[in-house]
Amino acid sequence: MILRRSLQDGVVVLCVEGTDALDTACAAAFKHAAVEAIPDGGDVVVDLGGLDFVDSAGVGAFVGLYKAARARGARLRFAGARPGVRSVLELIRLHRILEISDEVAGAARELRERRRTDPGIN
Amino acid sequence: MNGRVFPIDRQGAATHPDPARAYLTAIPDLAELCRVHDVGMELIERCDDLDALLDAVLEEYERRLAELPGEALDGRSGPADAAAARKLRALVMFATQAAALKEKAEAASELRGHSRSLEQIHAHLAGVMGAMGAGILMLGADGTVLRCNRSAPSILGIAEEELTGKPVPDFVTLVAPESDAEVAREVEGSEQVLLVARRALEEGRGEVVLLSDVTARHRELEERHRIERLGEVLRTLSVLSHKINNPLTALMGRAQILQARQGTDPQVVKAATVIQESAQRIAELIRELAQVVKSGHQEAVDRVLTISDQGAPGTERA
Repeated sequence: MILRRSLQDGVVVLCVEGTDALDTACAAAFKHAAVEAIPDGGDVVVDLGGLDFVDSAGVGAFVGLYKAARARGARLRFAGARPGVRSVLELIRLHRILEISDEVAGAARELRERRRTDPGIN
Repeated sequence: MNGRVFPIDRQGAATHPDPARAYLTAIPDLAELCRVHDVGMELIERCDDLDALLDAVLEEYERRLAELPGEALDGRSGPADAAAARKLRALVMFATQAAALKEKAEAASELRGHSRSLEQIHAHLAGVMGAMGAGILMLGADGTVLRCNRSAPSILGIAEEELTGKPVPDFVTLVAPESDAEVAREVEGSEQVLLVARRALEEGRGEVVLLSDVTARHRELEERHRIERLGEVLRTLSVLSHKINNPLTALMGRAQILQARQGTDPQVVKAATVIQESAQRIAELIRELAQVVKSGHQEAVDRVLTISDQGAPGTERA
């Protein structure tokens, strides 16, 4: 599993590559790498477009990552989930707890817009 | 989670200080239900603080996900056993409850944000109103004074409590709605002049009344008018004294000739003397008036006129 980090208009985009499943085998490594990549007080989009499946460990990594971002004062959104991943998130209602967008570009735009209108709130 | 959620041991039994609750939580399904209940109560208590609620929700989510077997979320195979299925159901139940509470907390947070903005706007407006020298009365649709700034009671010479919640002072109603006018009123024996401006608020929501104390300005205007009138009087006096002086000089000259001429009737000489003395008095008055015109003081004019009133008849009769 590789976590590719890029910058899109001031927003850090993290993209999972090299695997189509985030499960017990790689969830911990993903979480560790992603937490390291979160900038303090910055904006982050996690691109889930490369994944077809997540198990409870993978979803747990998403929750842990979201917690870490909040702790660092960063704003984090998940985006681009394929139907297999989206259905899991919807099954356990996580799509109503975490911030999830359909597209990476849309998520980045929303984060920038929120930064512009409300710079103090994470 | 701070103390309200009790850890479940490996067999699913919760440790609880209450013996009855401990008995119930010893049954695995009930233990899970009790936990869901306790967590639910915890979340409800944190509902008014979105950050605290999210912290609790994420922590509980993470814990429940960690307890869930990996394949439980695989839509093709589903939970491997009844225990995993129960844990998944409990997770979904918790998540549904948490999501609803989070949405309510977000709405409450947004409302608090708007409320803070309104409070800031209110404070700003109060600051602006307070800084204004003019008095401001905000009237309700029924003409009651709802609010006023600091200047209003000060201008009217009354306490704020005597103004707010009471009908608008009578003198305001003397001014037609949507217009500006000066109103004079008696305050402790002296006259106060107020400039009153009445403006209606939109949709019949009342009225704003602006009050400015223009008493000093009014007095200044009156003083200016008085000075202008005095100036006209002085100019007239100047012209008059010039016009009187010429014939007066001729009169005095003729009287002197009559007095000096040999063989003139003594009665004529006496009359000529009276004429000359009177003419001299008039000349004196003219000189004094000329001085007044130069200095331009009303008091001096009054003094000259008083002197002339006192002196003239007696002189005339003599």
